[in-house]
Amino acid sequence: MKLIEKFRRSRLISKLFVVMTVSIVAVCLLTSLITIRMAERLFAETFSITNGKVLNQINTGMESFNDSVVNAVTYASQSGSVKTYLTGGDTNSVAMSKVYYRMAEQMGQIASNLGAYDVALTIIGVNGRSYSTDPSYWPVSPQELADDPLTRHTAAEPLRVLYQYDERDGKAGKERFIVASKALVDRTGGLSYGMLYIAIRETEFRRFFGNFTSSGNDVLVLDPAGVVVSSNRTELIGGKSPELLRDVETLKQDQLDYLNGTVFGKDAIILANELPPYRFYLVNLIDRQYTAGQIMNIRQVALICLAIIGAALLVVFVISRRLTLSLTRLVRLMSTITKKDFRNYISVSGSYEVRELSKAFNYMLDELNDYVQRLLETQKEQRDAELAALQRQINPHFLYNTLASIKLLVQKGSKETAAETINALISLLQNTISNANETITIEQELENLKNYVFINHVRYGDRIKVSYFIAPDCIRCEVPKLMLQPFIENAFFHAFNVKTEGTIYILISRTEHSLVCEVADNGDGMELDPNEWVPDHPKSRKLFTGIGIQNVNHRIKLLYGESYGVRITSVTGEGTQIRIVLPLIENVEAAGDAV
Amino acid sequence: MRKSLMLLMLSLVLMLVVSACSGGSGTAGNSGNSGSAGDTAGSTAGNGGDGSKGAQEITVWAWDPNFNIAALNLAKERYEAKHTDVKVNIVEYAQDDIVQKLNTGLNSGTTKGLPNIVLIEDYRAQNFLQAYPDSFRDMSDLIKPEDFAEYKIGPTSYNGKQYGVPFDSGATALYVRTDYLEQAGYTVDDVTNIDWSKYIEIGKKVKEVTGKDMLTQDPNDIGLIRVMAQSAGTWYLKEDGKTPNLADNPVIKEALETYKAMFDANIVKLNSDWSQFLAAFNNGDVASVPTGNWITPSVKAEATQSGKWAVVPTPKLANSASSVNASNLGGSSWYVMNMDGQDAAANFLAETFGSDSELYSLLLEKIGAIGSLKAASSGAAYDKADEFFGGQKIYADFAKWTEEVPKVNYGLHTYAIDDILAIEIQNYLNGKDVDSVIRDAQAQAESQLQ
Repeated sequence: MKLIEKFRRSRLISKLFVVMTVSIVAVCLLTSLITIRMAERLFAETFSITNGKVLNQINTGMESFNDSVVNAVTYASQSGSVKTYLTGGDTNSVAMSKVYYRMAEQMGQIASNLGAYDVALTIIGVNGRSYSTDPSYWPVSPQELADDPLTRHTAAEPLRVLYQYDERDGKAGKERFIVASKALVDRTGGLSYGMLYIAIRETEFRRFFGNFTSSGNDVLVLDPAGVVVSSNRTELIGGKSPELLRDVETLKQDQLDYLNGTVFGKDAIILANELPPYRFYLVNLIDRQYTAGQIMNIRQVALICLAIIGAALLVVFVISRRLTLSLTRLVRLMSTITKKDFRNYISVSGSYEVRELSKAFNYMLDELNDYVQRLLETQKEQRDAELAALQRQINPHFLYNTLASIKLLVQKGSKETAAETINALISLLQNTISNANETITIEQELENLKNYVFINHVRYGDRIKVSYFIAPDCIRCEVPKLMLQPFIENAFFHAFNVKTEGTIYILISRTEHSLVCEVADNGDGMELDPNEWVPDHPKSRKLFTGIGIQNVNHRIKLLYGESYGVRITSVTGEGTQIRIVLPLIENVEAAGDAV
Repeated sequence: MRKSLMLLMLSLVLMLVVSACSGGSGTAGNSGNSGSAGDTAGSTAGNGGDGSKGAQEITVWAWDPNFNIAALNLAKERYEAKHTDVKVNIVEYAQDDIVQKLNTGLNSGTTKGLPNIVLIEDYRAQNFLQAYPDSFRDMSDLIKPEDFAEYKIGPTSYNGKQYGVPFDSGATALYVRTDYLEQAGYTVDDVTNIDWSKYIEIGKKVKEVTGKDMLTQDPNDIGLIRVMAQSAGTWYLKEDGKTPNLADNPVIKEALETYKAMFDANIVKLNSDWSQFLAAFNNGDVASVPTGNWITPSVKAEATQSGKWAVVPTPKLANSASSVNASNLGGSSWYVMNMDGQDAAANFLAETFGSDSELYSLLLEKIGAIGSLKAASSGAAYDKADEFFGGQKIYADFAKWTEEVPKVNYGLHTYAIDDILAIEIQNYLNGKDVDSVIRDAQAQAESQLQ
């Protein structure tokens, strides 16, 4: 389940690839399996037909050997010389010479029946005499032979030619023979007077079928006890295989063409023929695995399958990779866009779907950018309008109060001071109302401040002093207009309610990247509520009703970004400190003018 | 994209075609399977003609694993130790098969399938040498005829060229049971250098006293006649090797008479094959064995008879002045076929059987084979006393007798006449007159051999 879940969540390419791999492998395997099975079955059928014919041919060969053997046996049993040799006693040398000579002659005749085969004839008589055409061929002495099971079996069935398997220790190791034997029986008395053995080497016997065998296509001759009498697989000769015998007997009973069975630990197709005169079974074993391997090069099939799978997978991989690569890139680009800005356009490439998608996305970005642009412009216009409106909101109370103070000065006769006050008021009004520039230099701002402070001193007395500490390299730095005034105004009217006198410090300096303006007083201080901004003061005292310390912070952030702005710290009884951080913008023109 | 799809489909189709083809060829191969299986068995033996390429390979044909093949193996061992680039390939066939294969091969005029070296029995050698002199390599340049027993040179040479490398000595001897002789009142000296009539006389006495026959014979094998003939320096055929020499040959007549006398004396135990022949003396049924020295290992095979045997010279014919107490039975020699690889083969023979006395000592020790190389007879192995034969230095004796064997020309038809004679001898034993026997044999031989 976990695996399925994992699969469901995995990337498209992995999914595609896994599915394709599984299906290609399955198709390849199934096709080759079915082909191999079909070929095997076809092979078994055809092989059993042709080999059935081959078996018949072997049968014919073996039958003609049997015919020769029967002829030889018949000739031997009808020969008077042979009978004399085998039954007579020893007389003088001359007579014996005749008997021996005739015997040799007769044996030559008997053997000539078998001239086409490399065999050895051995004959043993009841009188103990024996004769062998080739004693070295079948290395068994007459004495051994008399007690041999071969002889016993033959004696038990005196009327038949018996074929038996025989092993002897010859000079060149163990030698194997097939021995045809027959008792020589007196036709009148019915008594056995001798025994004829026709031994053929197993290697010689094998020639009846040796030409028809090949590796994987074996021929065995089984005797009725299940002993392998002869085979092209020499290691099996002499061994007993009751299982195979059972298979062969079933085959014959059910009259089947062939049988599938396991023989000597291998799957084989079994075909069998009876060899009635021999009482042997002629068995043909076709090793399924080996011969199937012969007709069908499994290795080659496997290699071809592997090659096809490999090639197909490669092609599938490349195609799906190309398909998903553009998708992946698209996905990656889209995700960065949300993080950064809307200017990351996607290059239009890849498959049709991806290209359409990219186009649509780019179009959307266009629209978005367009919209944002317009929004920004609108905002700027709005801000300018706002400021313009603010600047025009000169508090009538301020003018009224200031003019009232000037009137008092004139009445008191302080003409000098009155004129100065009027100048300051004119200068202040001129700078604040008329100048539409958004920013001014520190120098101009300071002038405004001094005029404002001067008017305040005139109106309220000079118990609150104002000190300026301006770093000379800041003079030409630009600041938003009327940025410091609200803070000084605030300090004048709120910082010294308990204390009656004190000083307001104005400090302007620069750091590496920014301009720092501070307005600090040593007045009452206050409790700062983190949720609320600095409390506003009565409108009557303000220069501009619309401009307060609150919107200074707004304006700065709007103009220069979030990293700039106003910070207020205050300790009750010790004073308040306002710190304004601004970007360092120098007005080169104004500097030139000032000089 | 469409292009690559097409490519993919194309390649898939191609693969299918390829795999279908290979499957098809696999099944096509099957149909020939049962038919071609027959070719495998045929081409296994006899590829002597390929001797010349790469490492030299010499194929040798011989018969009898206990004697000739064993000797070959010893020679091969010694030769291959010295010549690592040569491989001697020994193939065993029955003698009759070798004769048949040689005849077939030489008749068809091709050396394909024939060996580089072949062993041929001396009796048959001229048959091949005269019919196909160009098919054998003249060995005169590598061996000296005078190094070998003189009687071996006749059969192995033709037209003054020495073709064969003489191998084993077939020098004959009379193996006698000293205990039986003693019982009958004879000593070994009494049977030494005797003639056949004396032999028959002793045989009668032995049979009378011990009940044992004097010798064993297979009526189909008249080797004894050949032994007698060669002891007198004559043969079935005249010096030309072609004309039958029976009717007017007193030696043959005397040999036949002697042969019959043995049977008439009733001192012959009959045997019908080789094993019965061996059984006859191994079982102690006969008092003597007149035959070639190659029987020594078989005589010694019956260890219980140790000390009861002696070896004396072959009896000679009583009335033939030329007859000596030495003869030959069997024996064969090596021949190099005139074909590719003949020089390597010739060198192999020259360095082993042609000159290596140490090899002959080994042959004697290991397999009891006596060679016909004169130089070899002086080896220490030949001087060894054999306890089985009562301490007699039998091999030195054999070597001596080998040199005394009279030289005869076996000619072309030894075995053909042998067959005719064997039949006639049966008639003779059954009462036919000896003169008509040899006359009839002569007539048959003449008509049969033209």
